[in-house]
Amino acid sequence: MKFQIEDVTVYFPYDNIYPEQYAYMVELKRALDAKGHCLLEMPTGTGKTIALLSLITSYALSKPSNPIKFIYCTRTVHEMEKTLSELKLLHNYQLQHLGPAAKILALGLSSRKNLCINPTVVSAENRDSVDAACRKLTASWVRELAAENPRIPTCSFFENYEKSASEAILPPGVYTLQDLRAYGKLKGWCPYFLARHMVQLANVVVYSYQYLLDPKVAGIISKEMQRESVVVFDEAHNIDNVCIEALSVSVRMQTLEGATRNINRMSQEIDRFKATDAGRLRAEYNRLVEGLALRGDLPASDAWLANPALPNDILKEAVPGNIRRAEHFLSVLRRLVQYIRGRLQTENVEKEGPVAFVASVNTQAGIDQKMLRFCYDRLHSLMLTLEISDTDEFLHIQTICDFATLVGTYTRGFSIIIEPFDERMPHIPDPVLQLCCHDASLAIKPVFERFQSVVITSGTLSPIDLYPRLLNFNPVVSRSFTMSLTRDCICPMVLTRGSDQLPVSTKYDLRSDPGVEKNYGKLLLEMVSVVPDGIVCFFVSYSYMDGIVNSWHETGLLKEIMQHKLVFIETQDVVETTLALDNYRKACDCGRGAVFFSVARGKVAEGIDFDRHYGRLVIMFGVPFQYTLSRILLARLEYLRDTFQIKEGDFLTFDALRQAAQCVGRVIRSKADYGMMIFADKRYSRHDKRSKLPGWILSHLRDAHLNLSTDMAAHIAREGIKEEGSQMIIKVAVLDLSIACDST
Amino acid sequence: MADKQQQVVVKRARHKSSVKDPGTPGVLKMTKDRFTFMANDPSSPVKLNVEFRTIKGHKFTKDGTKQALLNLTQDQGGNYIFEFENFPDRNVCKDFVASAIALSGEAGRTVPEKSAVPIQDEQLSAAEMERRIKLLQEDSDLQKLHKQFVIGGILSEAEFWATRKKLLEQNYSRRPKQRVALKNDMWSTKPLADGQSNRVTFNLTPEIILQIFAEKPAVRQAYLNFVPNKMTEKEFWTKYSRAEYLHSTKNVIAAAAEAAEDEELAVFLKQDDMLVNEARKKIRQVDPTLDMEADEGDDYMHLPIQDHGLPRNDNKDVLDSQYEPYRRSFSQHLNQHAAVVLQGRVIDVELGDTRSVAEALARTKHAELAKDASDVYLDKERLERISRMTEIEDLQAPRDPAVAPLSIKDPRDYFDSQQANAFSTLGDTVSGAKQLKCSVSTREAYCSLKECISEIKFQGLTEPTINSEVAFKVLNGLAQNISSNKYHLGRNPNESILDSLPKITREELLLHWSSIQELLKHFWSSYPITTKYLLTKATKLKDAMSQIYPKLQEIKESVQSDLRHQVSLLVQPMLQSSVFMDQAFCCRL
Repeated sequence: MKFQIEDVTVYFPYDNIYPEQYAYMVELKRALDAKGHCLLEMPTGTGKTIALLSLITSYALSKPSNPIKFIYCTRTVHEMEKTLSELKLLHNYQLQHLGPAAKILALGLSSRKNLCINPTVVSAENRDSVDAACRKLTASWVRELAAENPRIPTCSFFENYEKSASEAILPPGVYTLQDLRAYGKLKGWCPYFLARHMVQLANVVVYSYQYLLDPKVAGIISKEMQRESVVVFDEAHNIDNVCIEALSVSVRMQTLEGATRNINRMSQEIDRFKATDAGRLRAEYNRLVEGLALRGDLPASDAWLANPALPNDILKEAVPGNIRRAEHFLSVLRRLVQYIRGRLQTENVEKEGPVAFVASVNTQAGIDQKMLRFCYDRLHSLMLTLEISDTDEFLHIQTICDFATLVGTYTRGFSIIIEPFDERMPHIPDPVLQLCCHDASLAIKPVFERFQSVVITSGTLSPIDLYPRLLNFNPVVSRSFTMSLTRDCICPMVLTRGSDQLPVSTKYDLRSDPGVEKNYGKLLLEMVSVVPDGIVCFFVSYSYMDGIVNSWHETGLLKEIMQHKLVFIETQDVVETTLALDNYRKACDCGRGAVFFSVARGKVAEGIDFDRHYGRLVIMFGVPFQYTLSRILLARLEYLRDTFQIKEGDFLTFDALRQAAQCVGRVIRSKADYGMMIFADKRYSRHDKRSKLPGWILSHLRDAHLNLSTDMAAHIAREGIKEEGSQMIIKVAVLDLSIACDST
Repeated sequence: MADKQQQVVVKRARHKSSVKDPGTPGVLKMTKDRFTFMANDPSSPVKLNVEFRTIKGHKFTKDGTKQALLNLTQDQGGNYIFEFENFPDRNVCKDFVASAIALSGEAGRTVPEKSAVPIQDEQLSAAEMERRIKLLQEDSDLQKLHKQFVIGGILSEAEFWATRKKLLEQNYSRRPKQRVALKNDMWSTKPLADGQSNRVTFNLTPEIILQIFAEKPAVRQAYLNFVPNKMTEKEFWTKYSRAEYLHSTKNVIAAAAEAAEDEELAVFLKQDDMLVNEARKKIRQVDPTLDMEADEGDDYMHLPIQDHGLPRNDNKDVLDSQYEPYRRSFSQHLNQHAAVVLQGRVIDVELGDTRSVAEALARTKHAELAKDASDVYLDKERLERISRMTEIEDLQAPRDPAVAPLSIKDPRDYFDSQQANAFSTLGDTVSGAKQLKCSVSTREAYCSLKECISEIKFQGLTEPTINSEVAFKVLNGLAQNISSNKYHLGRNPNESILDSLPKITREELLLHWSSIQELLKHFWSSYPITTKYLLTKATKLKDAMSQIYPKLQEIKESVQSDLRHQVSLLVQPMLQSSVFMDQAFCCRL
């Protein structure tokens, strides 16, 4: 359908539109007009993504003189794929109605691991090895050598891409990663570098959060995006965590050992160069004297991860004299590693601010703040000079330099925590030094400054006034939408007691109680016998899930559950989890029905939809609080209290409930959908906890459903399913009638 | 069509050597120049293949007498006696024989056309016949109906089966034998310890072995490698059980120690490399909207081994890496098990022979993996699925007519066959008015259906045979009220009214219910009454219906007074329907 919002004609690829989608678009349009940032909460299951895409592309189409770029950030690659396929749908629709004028170039961008089509490279195990394998074939020095010696392997796709130079462009269209790979194969061009190049020219770019938020990645990918861009962070309820992660580093013993190996290797290389090609090292030195930490015009294939500090905070001056010489720099690194090793030997937990840490480095290792700050750039330059292409081997020293640069750059919002062992396993020494960022606003600040409109949106942003404080920005529009419903398509319940009327909870004292485990098992057993198709269960942590599933197995409960449905489980191995999910979907598709065990805050909870028959019921076992004894968390809480006056308890509850809401929200994707949600913990019945749930869940939570036991919940589920089923029957009956009419 | 039907007639019949003889059941097939008879029992000696040239004349019993006989006399004096199941069958054969004899006598003369009869007996192959017999044997309800109406002469054989084409077709395609799924039962090695000695016993059945082989390709491979060259079957399983036992004790160090001593045991204790490889291949075929592995490839934050955001409240690797291969998580097993069960029984081998089971499994696995991810068709299907998934269903006009997924047992058959009938009669009467496409896609069919309905809605039926509201009421009453009662019968006996009735009454009621349905089916299908043939059919049906009416009344009166109300509730829609039918018929006349 086509309609007008003020001066913009919106092309919307469906025949109908939900009222809240319209309202959402109106608000979004105002924010775009005002060239400001906005914060929008809209329940899952109301077609947020398509509303966003459709308004922003239409907005861009309506202003051809001043085209805006649209940068869409997703949490995960599979969400990227989903978004791109929705965009495809929309694009086709716009082409139909506008003709060639609507042509845009939209593409997804991911790492080499996901885009490479060179079979020898892509078979490598993980991302870092793929990156390294690619560099081994495409780095400028390798190609120079290969030009002289044809026996040195290069990547034909990259060579072809380079050869076609300016001709290597993507025709307009919407490209998923798969499409990019296919196009690359067709043309014989490297899809990764093609995509990297096209990102600058594309109308719509879809990529992961990190490409904007993590300065290391943003520095090489998103540096040249124009100001006239609309940046959207979808599913942004966790954006604060992503931001603080982007600026945090942790160092373990293995890191230090690896770093030492790296340093030795580099010193060998330096000796080798001194003997064979001393001029090169001298050239580097001269360049550093001139004040250039990095050569400005690196070929794309040489670019490594950029400086971990935010662009505004990077010093624009010459590298200090005492680390200009390669040997001197290496000895500084050695001393730094030695110093950190000494700190890790501690018996007690230590916590200090960056300023104290830098001072102590200075007195004990003789490395001043400025040297620390330049560590990263100096390392980068050295590695290029030494022509090191197996970058995956050098991650350890890179981590150390990241750490040094960050700790030298920032004085507040960070703390350094050294733990000699994990709190829960005091007998196993596992020292770790963590530089943790507490201030989420740091990483996102450059984004707010650089781009004219930033949209932060999700199904769960309550309380909506907290986010502007956490991220330190002023939205021009901040709104929370409710769902308009013609029927109850979600049915949330709070289960507080098991079948034996005893309370259930994952509270610390009740957690390992066999009675609670049994009650949880019985609940699931009841539900699998009542609810058709897919059921998803979320647990509070991997260890809790493993424990409870094992105990169900031993008591035979699991066997009974398997009488009804197949059981799949999320593990920490992503390959296995992905296959399990795929099989889960197949089992739901073929009508066999299945249960999926998953973990709140885990990878599945973050981005996999369990809509329609893939999830008729979701059970949240317990309240997914963070591990409250974690030092990092405590430090962050302290920072939040001091800086934003947010109470610890409030923040923890807020965080736990947004995770829970996120988990249960996975079952619904449109209003034709139907899903039940069970919050199985007595703590949900308390008002202070419950009230933190988003409005669209609360509005369906009836008072009668606040304090249920297993049998009552089973009864409600049975009734709910029956009601839903009868609606199906009505549809069938109508259809029958129409056939009957025709045949008589 | 009619001409073609003249060529062959096939009927069930008994061949008798004399009138008193019980006879051999079989199939009689007549073609233009000869007739053959094949006994149902292939071992039976009775087998005829006679040319009509040799037949001099034929005799037959009168309609309505005890037996439907046809006697063909040979010119040498011998004769063939056939007994038919009913007179219409016999009559068809009789007519055919008459013309055949005439034809063979006076060669060159054309066979008189019999196209006046709209519905001819279909040409029936022996196989078709057998199928019908089988269906009747399998379904006693159907047999009762068949007996009542076909043998009772209300419907012809062809008419009876016309409404059950679906049923015949299903059997015709000879559905593959239903495959039994694997049991969703984890073979958790629950060792049976007897408490006194240190012995631990494991039970292995062929079924369990199949499961082990399917779930653990390494064990399968080991079996193929070791047995019987290196060790006997018994030794193999003992070793396997030992390994399982070690796992069940969860003592990783002990497992590693034992494995170090015994390299065959190590095969079972180590992680399954084949599974890992398989997983790596399969991951490329996974729906990209699920692919979390791709995420990992894009995740620059968790650089080497960090895990900041997720609180690390998990058991960390306590052990040295040397034990790593011996760790096996229960969840992994769980997923693998579910995947295998989902895939179902992929091989079709006798379970007893362990070796052949292992080989067959290995073969299928191999073939499966050979199908590469680059399969274009798979890719396309995957893309289609994704685009379907992305659409928001209730904002969109229905994508495909939602006709296909329905599978209502009886009404469906009914409507299908009705449509076919309607088309054929329409084709006869209004042929030329509208070109009928022979092969229409579902979409086209749906569109034309929609058009038809809207046309009717707009204009009303051209010849209102019956008030549409009334018809709808009847249909509803029959389809929902009674059928629901019947189907609920077995399930929740407490709620069923029928169950409270005495058994005989219940049976009787159900019988009437089904006969009424059958009659109604045929009655409505003969609408619009355009030919004389249809008229006679409708009349017959109406008469049959009116016979049931008093019977229903009888039942109603016979039951105890406390149940009478409920019974009358049940009976009412049936009565009503017959009344409506009467009305409709009268209107028509």
